[in-house]
Amino acid sequence: MTQIRSFSDFLIRVIKIVAVLAIIGGIFVVATSFLQIMFGMSELPLPISPSDLITNPSALISLLTGLMDTDFFRISVFPGFTFVALYGAIAGLWERKLLAKMQMRVGPLYAGKVEGVLQPIADVLKLLFKELITPKGADRFLFGLVPVLTVVISTAAIAVIPVSEHWVIAQSDFGVLVIFAVLGFFPITVLITAWSSNSKFPFIGGLRALHQMVAYEIPLILSTLVAVMYSGSLNLINIVNAQSTYWFILFAPVSAIVFFICGLAEMERSPYDLPEAESELASGWLAEYSGMNFGLILGIAVYIKVYIFSALFTIFFLGGWLGPNFLPPEFWFILKTAIVTTMILLPRGVLPRSKIDVLLRQGWARFLLLAIVNIFIAIVLIQAGVIVPGAV
Amino acid sequence: MGYDIFLVIMTAGFGLLAAVPMLILPKLLAPKSKNLAKEAPYECGNIPSGSGRISFMMQYYSYLLMFVVFDVMAMFLFAWGVSYLATGLIGTIIISIFILVMLIPMAFTLFHAGRRELW
Repeated sequence: MTQIRSFSDFLIRVIKIVAVLAIIGGIFVVATSFLQIMFGMSELPLPISPSDLITNPSALISLLTGLMDTDFFRISVFPGFTFVALYGAIAGLWERKLLAKMQMRVGPLYAGKVEGVLQPIADVLKLLFKELITPKGADRFLFGLVPVLTVVISTAAIAVIPVSEHWVIAQSDFGVLVIFAVLGFFPITVLITAWSSNSKFPFIGGLRALHQMVAYEIPLILSTLVAVMYSGSLNLINIVNAQSTYWFILFAPVSAIVFFICGLAEMERSPYDLPEAESELASGWLAEYSGMNFGLILGIAVYIKVYIFSALFTIFFLGGWLGPNFLPPEFWFILKTAIVTTMILLPRGVLPRSKIDVLLRQGWARFLLLAIVNIFIAIVLIQAGVIVPGAV
Repeated sequence: MGYDIFLVIMTAGFGLLAAVPMLILPKLLAPKSKNLAKEAPYECGNIPSGSGRISFMMQYYSYLLMFVVFDVMAMFLFAWGVSYLATGLIGTIIISIFILVMLIPMAFTLFHAGRRELW
């Protein structure tokens, strides 16, 4: 235990104790609310007697569909955590195979009999058996908090993303603002990481990551303003339904490009991966994280962010789940999201890294002006009567 | 409006439920050995000297200041963008003047942020 030498030390100790109690209390509240949600499935056609199962097995189907309509299923399985985690694992494997083909070599090949499909599982198992090292002098509480916080915030943002009109966890009338409110937590997370590991490289890397994320957040927000103007609503489902005649990418191509590039900067992928530059800053703000701490931040949370940005790109600009009727809408959504994910993963093998002053200057000067230019294009198109907001 | 924010917090809680066992498992399964060299801060092979928490760089401070102002401006633009038809032509003209007026201090700030010999 560190000694208390002054009043501020005492205050910090009190705040830490209160925070630990709040987190334990929060976990308790979440657990009991889960139980309430699960037992709120009381409108299910239960119980089914065994004789009923033998003579009338289709009663089970109504039970299963009733189960799939509950909130708990949506949070945990389909548009929620399991789906996104699986998508992230497949995206990780796909990224490594894609980069390998671009660099004229084979990627993961040996884990699993066919082309290394079990490689993500092998990676997770390896990381689970590694030791978690906390550097000396680091702030233990904050150091352990950050990986959990990154995963929690990434998961919270998938709650308002609709996979189709029926499959959404939380259908909010302010969906766009909820997403940007949750994504605004990431710069704080990076700063906490940078400060709590008592080391120079993570500190400089974390400051650069903070400046980069903060610089590219404004053009990101302003480029989605165009889609909001065209549909007249902040609800993500209304934004997709407003694209039923033509996709918004035809009317806002500049905004789509700005959204894509600023998404690359927010996810810290190439060409904006200076904060985790392996050759320059010794892996930047993550340098002191080992084992599963590293696996949570760099493995899981990054691919959840990739899913979030791909899904948002398809919802705002590519028409979401709208497609020809011979296949279900969820299939079209996943297909479009997968294509956008491939486009996000590709620049890593192609482009060199941007320098920090170059990328900050570009983010503020060029991308902000491009986003504002497209707002003016949108004003002209709406005044000319090409698009009518809220017509659907 | 209240129920969907509750669901967002529930989803975050599920993420917490998934992340916490992945940090408890290595504590149970991994070998533990305390070693002074493992716990020292990493500096590419040097023996670390000086404090780990050096002072904040002020080089890109003006970009952070700009973020605060332009974030608030973006929220005002959202308020206008959603209610585009209700505010009509007058609202559009007023917002355009607002954007154009904000570009002047932005040009000033970018000019001074680019003068690297100052910072």
